[in-house]
Amino acid sequence: MPTFKLNDKEIPFEPGETIIRAAWKQGIEIPHYCWHPGLSVAANCRMCLVEVKSQRPMMLPILKWDAEKQDYVEDTKPKLAPACQQAAAEGMEVSSTSDQVKQAQASVQEFLLLNHPVDCPICDQAGECKLQDYWLDHQKTLKRKQTEPVHKVKGVRFGPTIVYDGERCVMCTRCIRFNDEIVGDPVLDMRERGNTNEIVLSPGRQLDHKYSLMNEHVCPVGALTSRDFRFKARVWFLKAQTSVCSGCATGCNMFVDYDPRDQHVYRLRPRDNEAVNKHWMCDDGMLSYHRYHQERIVTGRVRTNGHLADVKIDVAMREAAALLATVEKSKIGVVLSAQHSSEDNFVLAKLAREKFGTDKLYLAALPGWDGDKILRHNDNNPNRAGATLAAGGPLRTVKDLLADVASGAVEGVIALGWASAEDAVALAPLSRAKVVVSLSSNEGALPNTATVVLPVAVHVEMSGTFVNAKGMAQPFKKAIQAPPGVKSAWETTLDLARAMGLGIDFAKLDDVRRAMPANTPAASNPGAPV
Amino acid sequence: MGKLVNKPKYTMMERAYLPEIARGLGVSMRHFFKNTFSRRSKSEIVTVNYPEEKRIYPDRFRGVHRLTHRDDGSPRCVACLCCSTACPAQCIHIEPAEYDTSDPRYGYERFPKVFVIDELRCIFCGYCVEACPCDAIRMDTGVHVPPSTDRAHFIFDKEVLMSIPGADGTYESENPRHEPGDPSHPGLTRNHGH
Amino acid sequence: MDSFLLLSTAAKIGFALAIIFSFAPVLIWAERRQSAMMQDRVGPVRANIKLFGINITLFGLLHPLADALKLIFKEDFVPPKADKFLHALAPIISLVPAISVFAVIPFGDVFYPELWNQHFSMDLVGPATRGTPLQIASLNVGILFIFGIAGTGVVGAAIAGYSSNNKYSLLGGIRAAGQMVSYEVTLGMSLVGCFMVYDSLLLEDMVHWQMAHMWGVMAQPIAFFVFFTAAIAETKRIPFDVPEGESEIVGGYFTEYSGMKFGMFFMGEFVEVVTSSAILITLFFGGYHMPFLNAGGWDFSFQAFGHVYLENAQIALQHWGVTLIEVVTWVLKLSLMIWFQLMIRWSLPRFRYDQIMALCWKVLLPLSLLNILITGLVIIWNNS
Repeated sequence: MPTFKLNDKEIPFEPGETIIRAAWKQGIEIPHYCWHPGLSVAANCRMCLVEVKSQRPMMLPILKWDAEKQDYVEDTKPKLAPACQQAAAEGMEVSSTSDQVKQAQASVQEFLLLNHPVDCPICDQAGECKLQDYWLDHQKTLKRKQTEPVHKVKGVRFGPTIVYDGERCVMCTRCIRFNDEIVGDPVLDMRERGNTNEIVLSPGRQLDHKYSLMNEHVCPVGALTSRDFRFKARVWFLKAQTSVCSGCATGCNMFVDYDPRDQHVYRLRPRDNEAVNKHWMCDDGMLSYHRYHQERIVTGRVRTNGHLADVKIDVAMREAAALLATVEKSKIGVVLSAQHSSEDNFVLAKLAREKFGTDKLYLAALPGWDGDKILRHNDNNPNRAGATLAAGGPLRTVKDLLADVASGAVEGVIALGWASAEDAVALAPLSRAKVVVSLSSNEGALPNTATVVLPVAVHVEMSGTFVNAKGMAQPFKKAIQAPPGVKSAWETTLDLARAMGLGIDFAKLDDVRRAMPANTPAASNPGAPV
Repeated sequence: MGKLVNKPKYTMMERAYLPEIARGLGVSMRHFFKNTFSRRSKSEIVTVNYPEEKRIYPDRFRGVHRLTHRDDGSPRCVACLCCSTACPAQCIHIEPAEYDTSDPRYGYERFPKVFVIDELRCIFCGYCVEACPCDAIRMDTGVHVPPSTDRAHFIFDKEVLMSIPGADGTYESENPRHEPGDPSHPGLTRNHGH
Repeated sequence: MDSFLLLSTAAKIGFALAIIFSFAPVLIWAERRQSAMMQDRVGPVRANIKLFGINITLFGLLHPLADALKLIFKEDFVPPKADKFLHALAPIISLVPAISVFAVIPFGDVFYPELWNQHFSMDLVGPATRGTPLQIASLNVGILFIFGIAGTGVVGAAIAGYSSNNKYSLLGGIRAAGQMVSYEVTLGMSLVGCFMVYDSLLLEDMVHWQMAHMWGVMAQPIAFFVFFTAAIAETKRIPFDVPEGESEIVGGYFTEYSGMKFGMFFMGEFVEVVTSSAILITLFFGGYHMPFLNAGGWDFSFQAFGHVYLENAQIALQHWGVTLIEVVTWVLKLSLMIWFQLMIRWSLPRFRYDQIMALCWKVLLPLSLLNILITGLVIIWNNS
């Protein structure tokens, strides 16, 4: 592989690659606003200017202030090249830290901040803003301009998800290129020039496609902010945990941004993975965090006189064990969930096969949604493949379960998860079974038809694995604490087995993972974060 | 790097300590006998009989917090959470909210829907005032938190904090920036709709 | 044990306890009032009782009363992980020894109730005449009893620090133990010179020697200075109050004490001031000795330059009168000594811990050893 020198460090590159991309792959950042590894090159922010050493450098004539003569004198300086557009060449010597480059970076930074309102206190980007970071890294001078800054539109609602602030915009056109190139919906464009330059919507349109929230993360400054996250939290209070989206079978890699003080998730944002989601995520995926805090089941529930009444978790656990004991073990049907991790499904399936001796295994899953060619998979269950793998055999559908209950082949049901393709009406015949134990994190048709409900953790409250549609097993880590007393589904399954007098020896997650059938390893994550 | 401390030079008498003790005792006794056996005038007594008499505090005395007003009586605060970030006692709780789209200030300003200071937890360090970019929180009231036997009385909410005037009796504070709601705002550079 | 012994001992114990428990609250007041006078302040004046429209403040004497009421009714807080038993025991251990020391302090000469209205002379005392020394117990170990008992006081502070389950308390307890054990040594060594001069360990014998010769402060000035310093250190008061050290370790060994348990520490400190003053005047200021007063009454004659002056200036007093003057003298000396201790407490700043230790081991202990040497030499020179 050919190499070039960046600041005296050898950087390998693919032929045709630009300097900035080759450096980015090595984890070295050349400051930039408009360049994005997933988008085309615009080279309009001029932040990534670097000095390319040459035998015959192109020198530009300039006037330089001479402090001694108290006058300007003629001088020359080397012409700088944008690292985002300059292709790397074998043996090239590049500097992103020379005096000329530093001066250029400081000047570009000062120019971009010339009319910036500096309203960081009320800006949601504050804390993760490139303008702030680069000011500290490359400028560190106060504003020299004393006149009234240019005023532009503020708080323009571009659609249901995004708000635009013209004064903070640096006109990098990342958002325009994202909508154009990635989504294929050229809904944004730029108009006018100079002081009146701004981003506008196409006439009669709204920014309402399925990837609109990505604009917030594509924007390097606080010009585009998410209406969902707006003013909810300050980013310096948030901690990020690596996780996997539970929205669909694509299994987009993501960061869970949560506040450790109140154990609340405030947003999900994409985590780069070239093999899965590159740099992107869809709106539905990013908004799926609402499910972690809304319509949660945090207590046990037991059906008394036809109604589900809240009880303590251990009371519900004893009740579930007692009721299941009245049913012949081989007549217990176990419903796995395509929404739950492989570990959850594996432990439950193990309980069914080895302790109940039943092969009546079913799979509950959401019915699917409108997928597309970009990221969204037609199957909106994150772990259908993983659940099937973990079960170690074919799984039947919930319709089959309803038929089995009707025929009397199944008298007791243990159902995992809140999600099912069938609604409450369709699931009504389930009540003919003697006992339906639901292990569920959220409200849903399944827990609502159950006899006993045991609360379990959602996937950001536990560590586990999702296997996506491509067969890649992607582990995710625990971000926040589950509500008090609530455990992950596999731990709750173990507790239930113990309450029934059936022991399964798993003490910790690693035990479960070792016992599980081998899955396809997840693709590693190339490149540095954007 | 260490700092060289100039130690004071003592004479032999001072180093012996006892003569100095005797001298110190002499001073104490002089005051003791004078004060015990003669009638003292008011000016000779350094005691301030609080609360009947009050000491005059310096201008920079940090009293109970207040939230300053804009000219229209709304809070100057933009709920940026800088104060609660800086607060070492974590006694400030803020919930930001957005102005309605019909409000002229929409787009520029967020405002505190909830602004609560737990005055019992506060250590009066003044970091919140230092951190505030809008001159919205001040401790220039010159008064203490009024005593109470009920903890709930020390939870100062936005209304209470805004009802306290500064030591000079004013409520308003200046704003260094032009905002759309202010009469001084020059208007958009190019007037157009979106 | 006959009824006379029982009755007289009970009366003496009553007197000693009355002295201690009336002095302790008054001391709390005196400390505030005196410090106020020294520092040009007003002092305690707030506590008052409204009677017929007049505010009675009694120069702030009601403050100790208010204090006592507050301490009694205050919540007695014990830290959750503290050793409950030791935590309760510690204040008792530090208060009781301080009081017990009073048992051997003589506050008057032998009193013969049968001769109360006579002009006393030793001739009147027959073999059947019952007399009682004005001293609760005349132990033949005398002063050693004081060292032994007072030394237990440190256990209270150390246990308090240990049992509170608080790092500041523990630090305070360790400091108290280290300081008091160190000064205990000096305390004992400083008095060896006195023993040599007085030729006795009995406190009443020491007083008698001083009555016959001269006060101990003149006979043993170095011993007085060293003992006085060490005694202040033993009471753990400023300038030796590092075991409390508010600016460093919150409140030291009694950080976790409140209510009357704290009150006992508080009182123990003042009782220690009273007892240390009592020991000081007994050892160095002639105890109950009043100059020019002997068993028969006043005798102002004195000898100087080979002449006897005021040869006939004698006033005969009855036995009860002499005894009363002696006891009053003792109380007055005690008060003066306490006043002086308070004076020092409010004049000096706190020593650093290393300074305290250096003072003890490098200055006071060598000084007391030197004192023993000098005293020995002087005695040998006198005898030869």
